[in-house]
Amino acid sequence: MSLQKGFMPKLIIDNIAVEVAEGVTVLEAAQSVGIHIPHFCWHPALGKAGACRVCAVKMVDGPVKGIQMSCMLPAQDGMVVSTTDQEAMAMRRQVIEWLMINHPHDCPVCDEGGECQLQDYTIAGGHGLRSYTGKKRTHINQYLGPHIEHEMNRCIQCYRCVRFYQEFAGGTDFGVMGSAGRIYYGRVEGGQLESPFSGNLVDICPTGVFTDKTARFRARYWDYDMAPSVCPHCSLGCNTVPAARYRELLKIVARRNDAVNGWFICDKGRFTNSVVNDPARPRYPLVDGRKVGWDEALDNLLLRIREFGAVHGPESLAIVGSSRLAMEAATLLYRLFAGIAAGSLCYFTLEEEADQARAAITHLNDATSASMGDVQEADLIALVDCDLLQDGPMMALAVRQAWRKGAKIFLVENDVAPEAQKGLPFEWQSVSLLSDIPIREARKPVIICGRGKGMQDVAPALTSGVKLAYLLGGPNAFGAALLSAGHGATTLAQAVASGKVKGILAVEVDIPPELLQGISFIAALDWRATAIVKAAHIVLPTTAWVEMDGTYINNEGRAQRFKKVMHPGLPIMGLDPAGHPPRRHETAPPGGEPRPAWQVVADIIERTGTERDVQPLSGQWQWLRHLDAESPGQRIWQNMKQVK
Amino acid sequence: MEQPLFRHNKPGRSVTFDEYRAEGGFVALAKAMQGLSPDQVQQAVIDSGMRGRGGAGFPTGKKWSFVPRNLPGPRWLICNCDEMEPGTYKDRVLLEANPYSLLEGMVLACYAIGVRHAFIFIRRGYEQAAANLRRGVAECLQAGLLGENILGSSFSCDIDVHVSAGRYICGEETALMNALEGKRANPRSKPPFPAVKGLWGGPTVVNNAESLANVPGIIANGPEWFKGLARTPEAAGMKLFCISGHVAKTGCFELPLGMPLGEIIEGPCGGMRPGSRFKACLPGGASTPFFTEEHLHIPMDFDPVAKAGSRLGTGGIVVFDQDTCMVAATLNLTRFYARESCGWCTPCREGLPYVNHVLETIEAGKGSEEHITILREHVKLLNNAFCALAPGAMGPVDGLLRHFMDELREHIVKGRCPCKKDLCQN
Repeated sequence: MSLQKGFMPKLIIDNIAVEVAEGVTVLEAAQSVGIHIPHFCWHPALGKAGACRVCAVKMVDGPVKGIQMSCMLPAQDGMVVSTTDQEAMAMRRQVIEWLMINHPHDCPVCDEGGECQLQDYTIAGGHGLRSYTGKKRTHINQYLGPHIEHEMNRCIQCYRCVRFYQEFAGGTDFGVMGSAGRIYYGRVEGGQLESPFSGNLVDICPTGVFTDKTARFRARYWDYDMAPSVCPHCSLGCNTVPAARYRELLKIVARRNDAVNGWFICDKGRFTNSVVNDPARPRYPLVDGRKVGWDEALDNLLLRIREFGAVHGPESLAIVGSSRLAMEAATLLYRLFAGIAAGSLCYFTLEEEADQARAAITHLNDATSASMGDVQEADLIALVDCDLLQDGPMMALAVRQAWRKGAKIFLVENDVAPEAQKGLPFEWQSVSLLSDIPIREARKPVIICGRGKGMQDVAPALTSGVKLAYLLGGPNAFGAALLSAGHGATTLAQAVASGKVKGILAVEVDIPPELLQGISFIAALDWRATAIVKAAHIVLPTTAWVEMDGTYINNEGRAQRFKKVMHPGLPIMGLDPAGHPPRRHETAPPGGEPRPAWQVVADIIERTGTERDVQPLSGQWQWLRHLDAESPGQRIWQNMKQVK
Repeated sequence: MEQPLFRHNKPGRSVTFDEYRAEGGFVALAKAMQGLSPDQVQQAVIDSGMRGRGGAGFPTGKKWSFVPRNLPGPRWLICNCDEMEPGTYKDRVLLEANPYSLLEGMVLACYAIGVRHAFIFIRRGYEQAAANLRRGVAECLQAGLLGENILGSSFSCDIDVHVSAGRYICGEETALMNALEGKRANPRSKPPFPAVKGLWGGPTVVNNAESLANVPGIIANGPEWFKGLARTPEAAGMKLFCISGHVAKTGCFELPLGMPLGEIIEGPCGGMRPGSRFKACLPGGASTPFFTEEHLHIPMDFDPVAKAGSRLGTGGIVVFDQDTCMVAATLNLTRFYARESCGWCTPCREGLPYVNHVLETIEAGKGSEEHITILREHVKLLNNAFCALAPGAMGPVDGLLRHFMDELREHIVKGRCPCKKDLCQN
């Protein structure tokens, strides 16, 4: 082995010449040329364990000979590897047979069936009849909380779950017990899993030990409506794949993006299907609580706006967006604002959230903005005024990975509330001031700022080489801040304080009740049954993120596209015997009226008569139209010289 | 016949500190502290040709030499006294009679390798041996033979006695280190080898208790003396053999390496029991393939035994007579290994219970030719396990297939165990 820098071992795998970076395993080298070697315990994020022994290959020539585990063996110069050698295949076949000795033959009633690695390899390896005639080993399952179903009999002891839960995610209440044939993965006593990342057990288990309870017995893999998506529950923009069937969102799994969330997502992002399936969601356009068609609702809205303008003056109307509104609609708000000559345009409700987002767009650029991938590689991390587990759990997981590699973590004590320090999955050193942290001595320092006023203190610590990450308020807070700054928008709190706001057109925004005092007219576009929807005179139902294409710009300035997963509509929850056969005949799915917010805004603009054929993402935002949902996303600075 | 380890033994009790010292104990330590460099101690052990007594037979001095000299941070010595191999009880006999040879040997080893703190990892059941060691450590500290500035030299060294929680796998050196660190006793992958990265990431040497106990003799009397103790020129030193089974006198004997198997049975063991004829034996503990009558002439040393298709292992010889069912004997052994698997890798965790099941089926008279194929496959494929436990477990099965195929087939053909005397019950 050469110690030369940049040395690339060359080897031959199944007659294909492969050149890989030093330290890459034979298994990964094979993957790089499209040869899939079966594996259970090896996982790209968790590395090797050498436990399952199913990745056996035959080393035909070179420094190592014979049957070897390809996940354990670093690629070396001169290796000649065969994955199809009889001896290697016999070993792999035997491993599958061993694993199937105790695995129940319950695939037809197992939720993992169809997306089960063990099932795939069992079929691929040709193991159909077993010669073992003894009894199968059985276990007693545990209650692990409302989200995860535990079925230990299916376990093949690959140790992925415990390696993720304890090593990767820092959880302490779940582990491996017993020895020999009695290995058991679980808690000392049944109970809800404590880790905020516990849901990843569902993704990482190669078979059906951990399945998503919310989707239990609902659909097979091939039944799902699926599309690449982005999580809307915080500003980090973790990549997901929501899975739906019959207009019901059944589950959400993680989608790999090394720059953002890696292979995992948090439980908040995974287990919040219910907001989409909520029966109380606004499903129909409403005028004064009366169900109406879209045309009537929109006509009525325009009429009311004109009437309102006649009484209070059009400048008394505020158009309010939010950090959860996707870029498509957010970029149209200004045109609506101009079209109806409203008085205020707001992208943020409260001052604090706007300040933080403004700080982010001011201080961040392509060089200074830290992605979660950068955070994982940092050697020093300063936490300033942030509640990681509340405002961006995956950021805490990224910090943990840096910490595991030896990074020093500092927490500015005065700025982080004691309750926000609980449960952080890494060790840190408390300091009272940011200036106490030896940032200059670090090679790859990152400062992570949460919401709030810690921000003003950060600027002096910024020297070259320091990267910054912000935890913002919503999935598109960064985009909203860009638009807000570009259009000179105010916050709703400011506009209300000035006393001139009498009416509000709320576009997917939550508004606290104290800002609604003295407001005589409310129209709300939303897909959530919020307080303002309930209070609104006119309600225009919009689609949830899984029901449309859209774009969010995450906390680091990365624009990411998400695709429509499912049609909006009331979930089919089974036949009601009283209503069978159905007496109503419709050509559209019931409850399917919601439209993407951008489309509703565009409709309103068109009805004002100022513009025709309104399309989202025009002008300087046009590049977003070509964003590939399956790409890692693009940072705005790569596409926009000057952001306005 | 000189007995470097057993020469201090007192009938019915442990040797006292004063007796051990009066009989020439700690002479080697004094010699090293006064005039030998660490390298000289190491060289003497290398020159003695001593091979590790724990089972693998790796040369002890060579193992020490693998520890990098220039790495910063602490390095460690661990005495592996987690003696769990069925049929092996030499360390217990040694330490119940005399803990001082081991302690002296450990201080010498620490001196040679540059270790400040050493551990004795001892099996839970060895209460008397552990008590002896603890007492010995206290006495040595008192006498300045352990602790700060040993015998007035600049060398300091401490020894801790750690009682294991008790699993067979803890005897595997990397699993042992995990256990010592308070983790699950799963083996670690090699490389990195313990000599480079072991206990708490530091360079670590793990030696068997008997190996370390032999070091004082080597230092006191020289490597040539040690070599000369063996029966054959290729072998080096005396070895503790523990013989159990159907011999007239079972026990642990210190005998020269290279003594033929038959001579051990006929000599110290006084032959077979009345009415028993030698049928087979495990030559070196439960993980070694059987020897039969044709092997009685084999000199009991590492290479000759390996050449004859088995392993010297720990020197735990288990002798079976003509009435023993070899299928049942093998099953007894594989049951032990299946139970003691740590559960880390598939071949061991799932393969060994499968082998049990097959042997049970054959023993119950329900076997078929296919079962023999399954056993053959397992002997081959269990070599691909994570550590040496599963391949070791297949040693007796391998021996069964090589030497007792007729007996195995008889089970299948007759549909019952041919060795069972009471055939009505079968």
